[in-house]
Amino acid sequence: MQDKKTEEIKNFSYQVRKNILEMAFEAGSSSAHIGGALSIVEIISSLFSYKMRIDKTDPNWEDRDRFILSKGHACLAYYAALCEIGYISKSELKTFEKNETNLLGHPVINRKMGIDFSNGSLGMGLSLGIGVALAAKKRKKNFNVYVILGDGECNEGSVWEAAMAAPHFELDNLTIIIDKNNFQQTGSNNEIMKTENMKNKWDSFGWNTTEVDGHDIKSFCGCLDDSNNQKPKAIIANTIKGKGFSFSENNNEWHHSVLSKSNYDKALKELEELK
Amino acid sequence: MTNIENYKQIFLECLSIDLKKFNEEIKYNEVEEWDSIGHMTLISGLEEGFNISLETDDIVEFSSYKKGIEILKKYKITF
Amino acid sequence: MIINDRNIKIWSTIGSRATLGMAALELAKEIENLMVLTCDVSTSAGLDRYKKTYPDKYLDVGIAEQNLIGVAAGLASENFNVITTTFAPFQTMRCCEQIKVNLGYMNQKVCLVGIASGLALGTLGFTHCCIEDIGVLRSIPGLTIISPADSLETVKALEAAVKHNGPTYVRLTGTSNNPIVYTKDYDFKIGQSIKLRDGNDVSIFCTGTMVHASLEAAKILKKEKISCKVINIHTIKPIDKKAIESSCDSNLIVSIEEHNIIGGLGSAVAEHLSKLNKKPKQLFLGIDDIYGKGGEYNFLLEKHGLTPKKIVDEILLNYKKL
Repeated sequence: MQDKKTEEIKNFSYQVRKNILEMAFEAGSSSAHIGGALSIVEIISSLFSYKMRIDKTDPNWEDRDRFILSKGHACLAYYAALCEIGYISKSELKTFEKNETNLLGHPVINRKMGIDFSNGSLGMGLSLGIGVALAAKKRKKNFNVYVILGDGECNEGSVWEAAMAAPHFELDNLTIIIDKNNFQQTGSNNEIMKTENMKNKWDSFGWNTTEVDGHDIKSFCGCLDDSNNQKPKAIIANTIKGKGFSFSENNNEWHHSVLSKSNYDKALKELEELK
Repeated sequence: MTNIENYKQIFLECLSIDLKKFNEEIKYNEVEEWDSIGHMTLISGLEEGFNISLETDDIVEFSSYKKGIEILKKYKITF
Repeated sequence: MIINDRNIKIWSTIGSRATLGMAALELAKEIENLMVLTCDVSTSAGLDRYKKTYPDKYLDVGIAEQNLIGVAAGLASENFNVITTTFAPFQTMRCCEQIKVNLGYMNQKVCLVGIASGLALGTLGFTHCCIEDIGVLRSIPGLTIISPADSLETVKALEAAVKHNGPTYVRLTGTSNNPIVYTKDYDFKIGQSIKLRDGNDVSIFCTGTMVHASLEAAKILKKEKISCKVINIHTIKPIDKKAIESSCDSNLIVSIEEHNIIGGLGSAVAEHLSKLNKKPKQLFLGIDDIYGKGGEYNFLLEKHGLTPKKIVDEILLNYKKL
């Protein structure tokens, strides 16, 4: 992959992180799922600014690649990316978690804004993805389906029903990314429910599986670009929950928290320095 | 129409069998339309066509065209 | 579908489940984007012939009801007209939250068909009976709930559901030799109850298999000089409120269902009735909030007071106390 392209995705990621900070700050005492959004910034940026075929003028373009944020609580990153694409305005971002907003703490279906499905109840997005991927096959369409799942989300049995089904239906137009940040709501995966051997698990279910650093844009895009080999693809992305800011990295307090003014200022400063 | 003609007619209609493809050796599940749904349709047709009500055991045992003739004889249908 | 005497008799003989299979065959002819999804129950739902005839319009997701709903919703979001089916308890409760999120909240148009609801599979025990489905699903906004009275109404309900512009749940009750309520074609509209018999003393609101039982009970009650109105509430949600309001001049309202008396048709009737100023007492007939011992269908109906004779006894007892 060209360095220029990597640079573009990096810039997109910077904007996404900035938007996340703005929204989280606006949310104020409503608090926000910051940690799990930050861990998928590079993933979602690679998808939206590089890999996915989309029409920036038409969120409903019928041949668009479809995206499902199964770990719906990471919607800060999703809305941020949709803003950078142009489907959501910066002023609309400010309505995050406000009364009667279109941008709640979990995505609510809104096709005009490019939000294709409502998510948030964990364990359901992959099944939706299978339905959409099947529809593409039946209609002989070439669009791909991308689903982001959380590692804690893989506690849900419904994930494994879907995991079994996708290879059975030979859905090589379906790619999932597991955001393996090693934490869930109240503790690490190791404490709450072990999710070891992720690669082996998905491999044994019949997926074309790879493992990669989820913040290494070049390597991650390489995985996206690799052939599916006639199977659905699972990318186990090793990530850091709260990635991007010194106070939030690997700190599970930031699963769902209030972003104070001082932390907001600190974060902005760190963001500028990194740039 | 004789009883045997009636019997055959009901088979042809209920199981949508082409006269050309028909033979007296046909058996349940060996003919395309003679699946579980076809079977109940056939039984219903025979009950109506001969004004009888078949016992459950006879419905279960009714596994071929020829067997059916034997079963209907129990209901005083002469062929 | 061709609705004539012959077909009505066949559908009654084969029961509502196999009628689903036959209806699906006909619907597939007219509806290009139809998809029927099941959880390893093709034979139980009379879908074997459909599976062979329309393999591209059929999908088995295995014994995975939660995945079933998500896949169905995904297909529906891409403009497929989707019917799903499996046994009622699994169709409704195993994947209840998926129904809430995908069908209720996201309003994806999927027709769920719960087969062998009520007590039909009593010999297999209450894991395979379903006396909770109406109660559970009624509290999901946006979901229409239909409970056909006989096999012909099953056909009508399915035809209406696939044309309806929102998600539906169709609850199939009874076994083979499903008693006939409708002897000829009629107008079926979602949400519009059907008065099958007029009467002044008692108004009976019934659904599913209990419609036939109620009509039989009404005949017996006539001999006892009690005249009964019998209303088929085939659509439990949205319920026909006018039908309830116009029955308030009866001396007694009776609700009869092959379902728990908590949460189902009786509760739906009572919810509206309780808002009205002048209303008669309501007698709730159904399964009295219990998982009893299993047994054959007719045995269980008798045990839970859901045969015409038992219904008559209860109505007489309560009518005399008025």
